[in-house]
Amino acid sequence: MRKPILELKNISFSSQKSCILKNINFKIYRGDKIALLGKNGAGKTTLISILNGTLKYSSGDYKVFDKNFFELNMKQKKLIGTFWQDLRLIEDFSAEQNVNCGLLGKKNFIFALKNLLNISSFKKAHECMKILDLKESIFTKNIKNISGGQRQKIAIARTLIQQPDILFADEPFNNLDPNFIIHLKDILINKKIINKLKIPETILISIHRIDLLDSFNRVLALKDGGIIIDLKKENLKDYHLNKIY
Amino acid sequence: MNKRNLNAISLSFLPIIVIIPISINILENLHLGGINLVSEFLVSALLPKLNSDILISLISRINETIFIALTSWFLSIIFGIFFGLLSSDIFYEIINLPLVLGRLIKLFLILIRSIHELVWGLLLMQIYGINISVGIISICIPYVAINAKVINEQLENIDPKVINSILEINGNKFSSLITLVWHPILTTLQNFGFYRLECALRSTAILGLFGLGGLGTSIYLSFKALSFRELWTYLWSLGILIIFSKFIIKHAFLKNFNSKLRVIIFIGSLILSICSLFYFFNFLSNPSYFFNYSLKNLYDLKNNFISYSLIKLIYETILLSLFATSIAVSLPPFLSIIFNNRLGNLLMNGLAFCFRLIPPPITILILIMFNEPSISLAALSLGLHNAGITFKLLNSNLNNLERSQFLALNSIGAPKRISWLYGLFAKQAKSYLAYCSYRSDVLIRETAIVGVVGSIGLGWQLQESISSFAWEEVSIVLLAYSLIVIIGEIINDKIKKNFI
Repeated sequence: MRKPILELKNISFSSQKSCILKNINFKIYRGDKIALLGKNGAGKTTLISILNGTLKYSSGDYKVFDKNFFELNMKQKKLIGTFWQDLRLIEDFSAEQNVNCGLLGKKNFIFALKNLLNISSFKKAHECMKILDLKESIFTKNIKNISGGQRQKIAIARTLIQQPDILFADEPFNNLDPNFIIHLKDILINKKIINKLKIPETILISIHRIDLLDSFNRVLALKDGGIIIDLKKENLKDYHLNKIY
Repeated sequence: MNKRNLNAISLSFLPIIVIIPISINILENLHLGGINLVSEFLVSALLPKLNSDILISLISRINETIFIALTSWFLSIIFGIFFGLLSSDIFYEIINLPLVLGRLIKLFLILIRSIHELVWGLLLMQIYGINISVGIISICIPYVAINAKVINEQLENIDPKVINSILEINGNKFSSLITLVWHPILTTLQNFGFYRLECALRSTAILGLFGLGGLGTSIYLSFKALSFRELWTYLWSLGILIIFSKFIIKHAFLKNFNSKLRVIIFIGSLILSICSLFYFFNFLSNPSYFFNYSLKNLYDLKNNFISYSLIKLIYETILLSLFATSIAVSLPPFLSIIFNNRLGNLLMNGLAFCFRLIPPPITILILIMFNEPSISLAALSLGLHNAGITFKLLNSNLNNLERSQFLALNSIGAPKRISWLYGLFAKQAKSYLAYCSYRSDVLIRETAIVGVVGSIGLGWQLQESISSFAWEEVSIVLLAYSLIVIIGEIINDKIKKNFI
C-alpha cells in the first residue's frame, strides 16, 4: 500500500481575518498533481498557508513524512516550496537578487551577503529565469520597475530554484499570457523543460481555470470551508464542477 | 450641538499667539545699552575678517570640526544600525531569542536619547577633561540612539508576508535576517543617515561653544572678545561647511558604487568601527584622577534639592519647550502668508538660512545684549533656530506640490493669499504638522543648550551641578530632564499618528 507523504486529519482553522476551514481530511502521495478548486474566499489560500506552516491550525493533526509538521527538521522543511498569489518579492532588490533568495536554504551566510552586495554568481538564477522566458535585459532591473506578469515569473523562478520536492502554488497561472500559461504548465506538470532544474514531483496548485485541469491527476475542491470533492481527474464530471461554482 | 475640531490649518497658525506674551515680556525687559553692539554684529556679517592669522586658525578649526563631526557621524551610523537591529522585533523573531531583550535595549536607547549631546559633553568633559574623544563620544551617544530608533521604525514596517516568504526558504537564520533588513537599512541611510552629517556638524559647533574645539570654540571666543567680524568669518565657514557636506553627500555617497568598491566600503567600515570601539572603550575606562576623587563624594550631599526649586525648573523647561515649539511651528506659515510674493520669499529664505546657521546659544547671547535672561528670550532663540529648519522643509514641500488647485482658485478671482492657503498650504498642513511634532522632540532636548547659556530651566541647574561636582543633583536633574523628554515624545507620537 502506498504511504502518503502528507496527511491532514480533521484540520480546522478559524480566525477573524481568514476564512474558516472545517474538518479537512486528505492525503497527498508522492507524484500527485493536485488542482485545488474553489470560489473566491473558499479558503484555498488559508489551506495552502496551513500546508506550508505559515498558519497554525486550530485543531486536528497535520503530518508530513510521518511527522507532525512542527516537528520537521530543517532538512525536511527545505523540501517544501511555496508560490504565493501576492508574490511576496523583496522590493528594492533586482530580479536576479530576488531569484537568488531562493537559494538561501542551500547556501551559507557569505552567499547571502554577496547576493546583497550584488557580487554573487547569478548563473543558476539566470538559467532559471531563462527557462521562464524572462529576457536578459530585466535580470538586473529593480523589481519595482518590472511589469506584473514578469514579477510573477520572477516569483515562480524563486520558488523553482529552491528545487523543492513538494510545491504548493497559489494561483500561479493568473495574470499570465495564454502562451506562457501552456509553457508553465509544461514545466510544472508535464516536466517538459527540465534543463538541470529539478522540478517538484508532488504539487498542489490552486486554480480557477477549468481548461487547465487536463494535466492534473487529482482534483480537490473547497466550499464553505470544507472539502467537497477529492477525486481522480478522470472521474471528475461536469456536475461536480457545478457543485463548486 | 455639533462638536467642531481644530483642523491642521488652524493648528499650524494658532500657536503664533505665544508671540504676544513673549513680546510683552521682552519689551518689559528691554534696555538699549547693547543696541550698538547688535547693529555692529549685524553689519559685520557683510564684512568678515580674512587676514592670514584668521585663515590659519580657521583651517585648523575646520579640520577639528570635520574630524569630530565625520567620526561621530560614521560611528553613530554603524552602531545605530547595530542597535536598531538589536531593538527590532524581526531580529528576535528570526534568531529565536526572548523579545524582552529587545524591549530592554529599546528602553536603554530611549534613556540615552533623551539627553542632549551637549549634556553628555558637559558630563564627560568633567570626567575626562577637554578632549576630542569626548566630543566624538558625546555626539555619538544620542545619535546612535536616534539612528537606532529610525532604523527600528523602518524594520517594523517590513511586510510580515515577505518575512514569511523568506523564512519559508528555511535558510541560515542570519542569511534570512540580513536579506530582509538590508534594504530597509540602506534606504534609511539614504533618506536620513546622510542628513545626520549636517546635524553632526551643528552639534560639533555647539559642543565647541563649550570648549570642545572646532569652529564652535572660535565662535565663542570671538564673541566673548566682541570681535564680530572674526565671529562672522567662523559662522560663514560653518555655513559653507554644512552646504559643502550636503553637496558631497548628494554627488558622492548616493551614487551607485561598483561591486569592488562596495566590498571595500563594507569591510573597511566594519574594521574601522571595531577599532574605534576598542579605542573609545579604552578611553572611557580611564577617567581622570580628579573625577575619581570627586566621585567619592557621590551622594554625600544632603540638601533639600528636590523641593520647590526643582519643580520650578521643570516648569520653566516645559514652558520653554512649549513656547519655542509654538514659534517653530507657526512662524513659517504665518510669515509665508504675510509676505506672499517673490521678494518676501527670497528674504525669508535668507533669514531662515541665518537662523539655521547661528547656533541658539549665540542667538541668546546676542539677545542678552539688550535684554535680560528670561524664558521668553530663550524660547525666542530656540524657536527662531528651529523655525529656520521648519521653514526650509515647508518651503521645499510647497514648491514641489502640484499647483492646479492654487491656479483654479486664482482663476476664479480669489486673493493670492487665500489661494495659497487653500490651494497649497491646506494640502501640506498635515504632513507639516507631523514633521513639526518630530521637530518638537528635538526641540525639547535642545532646551538644555539655551538653558545652560540663558540661565533658564534644568539646563542651567545641570551645568551648575556638574561644575560643583554635585553628582546627586546631577542625577536628579538628568532624571527629570529625561522624563520631560520621554513624556514629550509620547505626546508627540500620538500627535504624529493623528496626522499621518
